[in-house]
Amino acid sequence: MLIRLRVSAILAALSLPATVCASEPSPQTDPADVIAALIDKHLAADWAARNIKPTVAADDAEFVRRVYLDLIGRAPKAAETRAFIEDSSPDKRKVLVDRLMTMPGFAGYMASVTRAAWLPQTLTNIQFANAGFQFENWLRIRFRENTPADEMVRRLLTVPFQVNAQNPQFRFVQARGNDADAQTLVGFYQANEARPENLGAAVSRLFLGVKLECAQCHDHPFNVYTKEQFWEFAAFFGEMNPLPAGRPSFVGPTQPQEDKNRITIPNTDKTVVAKFFDGTDPSWSTDRGPREELATWLTRLDNPYFAPNMANRMWAHFFGYGILDPVDEPGTNNEPTHPELLQALGKAFVDAKFDNRVLIRGIVRSKAYQLSSKMTHPSQADARQFARMNLKGLTPSQLFDSMVAATGHREPGFMRQNQFNFNPQPNNPRSQFINRFSSNEKASEANTTILQALMLMNGQFVTDVTSLEKGEVLGAIADLPGWDTKQRVTALFLTTFARNPSPEELEKFASYVDRGGAAGDKKKALADVFWVLLNSPEFLFNH
Amino acid sequence: MASFDSMLSRRQLLRVGAVSTAVSMSGWLGRLATAAEANKTKPKRSCILLWMNGGPSTIDLWDLKPGHENGGPYKEIQTSAPGLKIGEHLPKMAKHGDRLAVLRGMSTKEGDHARGTYLMRTGQLPGAAGIQYPSVGALVSKELGDPKAELPNFISIAPQRFFSQEAFGPGFLGPVHAPLVVGDNQNFANPQGNGIDQLLRVADLDPPKSIDEASAAVRLDLLREMQEDFAAARPGQMAKSHAAAYDRAIRLMQSAGGKVFDLTEEKDDVRDKYGRNLFGQGCLLARRLVERGVPFVEVTLGNWDTHGNNFDQVKNLCGTLDAAWGTLMDDLKDRGLLDTTTIVWMGEFGRTPKINQGRGRDHYPNAWSTVLAGGGLKGGQAVGKTSKDGTTVEERPTTTLDMLATLCLALGIDYEKTNPSNVGRPIRIVDKPCEPVKEVVA
Repeated sequence: MLIRLRVSAILAALSLPATVCASEPSPQTDPADVIAALIDKHLAADWAARNIKPTVAADDAEFVRRVYLDLIGRAPKAAETRAFIEDSSPDKRKVLVDRLMTMPGFAGYMASVTRAAWLPQTLTNIQFANAGFQFENWLRIRFRENTPADEMVRRLLTVPFQVNAQNPQFRFVQARGNDADAQTLVGFYQANEARPENLGAAVSRLFLGVKLECAQCHDHPFNVYTKEQFWEFAAFFGEMNPLPAGRPSFVGPTQPQEDKNRITIPNTDKTVVAKFFDGTDPSWSTDRGPREELATWLTRLDNPYFAPNMANRMWAHFFGYGILDPVDEPGTNNEPTHPELLQALGKAFVDAKFDNRVLIRGIVRSKAYQLSSKMTHPSQADARQFARMNLKGLTPSQLFDSMVAATGHREPGFMRQNQFNFNPQPNNPRSQFINRFSSNEKASEANTTILQALMLMNGQFVTDVTSLEKGEVLGAIADLPGWDTKQRVTALFLTTFARNPSPEELEKFASYVDRGGAAGDKKKALADVFWVLLNSPEFLFNH
Repeated sequence: MASFDSMLSRRQLLRVGAVSTAVSMSGWLGRLATAAEANKTKPKRSCILLWMNGGPSTIDLWDLKPGHENGGPYKEIQTSAPGLKIGEHLPKMAKHGDRLAVLRGMSTKEGDHARGTYLMRTGQLPGAAGIQYPSVGALVSKELGDPKAELPNFISIAPQRFFSQEAFGPGFLGPVHAPLVVGDNQNFANPQGNGIDQLLRVADLDPPKSIDEASAAVRLDLLREMQEDFAAARPGQMAKSHAAAYDRAIRLMQSAGGKVFDLTEEKDDVRDKYGRNLFGQGCLLARRLVERGVPFVEVTLGNWDTHGNNFDQVKNLCGTLDAAWGTLMDDLKDRGLLDTTTIVWMGEFGRTPKINQGRGRDHYPNAWSTVLAGGGLKGGQAVGKTSKDGTTVEERPTTTLDMLATLCLALGIDYEKTNPSNVGRPIRIVDKPCEPVKEVVA
């Protein structure tokens, strides 16, 4: 058996592109399956202890739509849905996930989601918009190459740059050296205004899941961090402040890194030296700068914060809530709902050498991820117990991309490039949608606004794509010869909801169409149905 | 309207057979809506924020320094209040001097557009401890507004949000207190004529003409059923929010309330007096909204960032401002609304007293002015005094929180009341320390 597997694996390796695994790991050793199993084990134990009855498993339709949205940022097209549902191979879900992760849309979507999480200010403040694009470009390549998470953070922290602080109102960060990567990577520093306090706060929050900001001005009210600890952490970025005047050489040998590893707390005379907030010091040497020391400490395998935090953030992307939520403020007010699961997940991520795709596979293969979002029992009400899949709102791009997939809207390339929130272009529907649907809200607590509802009901774009003359998919469905009404209605459901209509739905809508709707015209009645489906919560949410 | 919705759903209406598809559903609901609206009580107070985007040159409008080289070419003029003089390019406002309270002692520390905007509109510095502070519009409209009102309680007309989006939002008060925005994204455009009418309507309020009324009504009914089915299988806040937003949107579409945005209902001579520009017509719309009981309306006038050629630009801007605000004051007074409407005029900071080489003024938060007008105030005075050269505040320095607390007192709002924030900590409407300028409060 094993020999046959190996031979076929070698043959497969010759014919398949390099990005596909040359050999299938057996279930016992596939780290993704290990992760899936541990997720399910911990949750099952917790549910049993709390008398929670998890909901039913998601059917293929629920799964395919969810996983397309979560991995490549759009809902599947009707043909993709149909192909998946009708596929009878037993491992089709695994295969689909692996395939989606090779698509360019995966790297693009994960980059945009990560950028929004790591640099939210680039979406709401025009001054940082360009830095955001820069940084997202870097992220896209990382996800395409599947750079491990610890390596990403190390590169981010150690990129060589110089800061031009001549204008006190606006510092400018430039990459040093010829590294093309660095040009885009410095966007992270630029978006944080090249200020040590902003970078200390961001790095701590994003990569360690520890929100130090409150301690910037005073000792943290709810947590143990003091103001001094905040500034000691910010001091790792001390080089970003203009250098103090050099000391005369006759004073004696200088401490290594002393021009980079300290910071004066504003409005005080106190200068602090960089220190990790677990109280330890790096042993300063001349050839390792403070940011390198920080990168090493942060990504050490035994650092208790890093791996669980990164795993938790990935979890939150798929489940709508982190195991610790908000993801960056642990403390007595905010405990993880499943502490052992969080630790186990962190350890598994370390074991997987911080491979994001392994973690993703693991999460998506779990029974928990593959639960339906339908509530079948009141014990599923608490979103934080993951006894049913949480609804997630769509980002503006997800929404518009899903609209494009569902309606066949043809979009010129230059319009597609526009992801810019600030000055919507009047004739670019994508631009209008992004502007109208942008929000700072958490995906799992998304709200719909009046103006959004109006755009979806009455806006020019929706009117066009639901018109028989201009709507590509609608026109095709309405005009296709040889189809009966039921087939047409089914096609509408497949393209919008990525599922077949239930028998009741089919009966109701097909007879509505056959009656000609309110205007006495079957094709117009089909357009009515299409409009209704596109405005329905089942289209507008990720469930 | 809420009680009507709970009595009958459209699905039930269809089933009862009382309405055939030939009868216009929207017309029927529209008549009921008007009846319901007439029974509403108006809020006691309204607030209009005139937001001057870019940092207005207050030393040229409210606190002139004639005779000093920092004074520039403008003269002072006497207002209707003895002892109160303002800049010559605000003659209509001068007639309302007795209703103005000029705060000449404003002294804030933020000279950056984004930070200054956030500070003045929320009372806080951005990013402070990760708290999402609500803008003054959300705070005030929450206190003064009726949650069941047909029109949203916070309406923002032609905002320019690119400096700081969060400064225009509801922050931790949540999306229910988000503003309804009209005339969005006119950042640097200068629309004229009929273009303005279109811009000041609620975007996408009108259903497309290509769909007949009967079909439109049936679509809404079928949609309501899909929403109910979804909420039954997947109960929770998101399904509710979706249904609620659609309900409010449909109400706005079908009720008389939506008509308030139709400026063609006003006579031409009135519209001319306000000025046929976005700000002028925006102020007219603000008056109409206040007449309908909307408790907080803001109107933005931009292009105040006059680093160069300050005096020509400011004169033009004053022309726009004076016509619009002066007429607004006249109209509110004529309609007996000025005593219950407080107007606040401000930008993100003032401008340098020292004139630069380009005949311009740069950012200057150290000494500048904001103005309160109308209801709840003892008008006809200026509080706070700047030095002869305009560079420092000599008497009664006033912070952002002082000013916002003063506004709250004028509106009859308890600024010490707290709201729960997004970090669990309850936060006062106006944080401390704050010392309201009680001298100007009635």
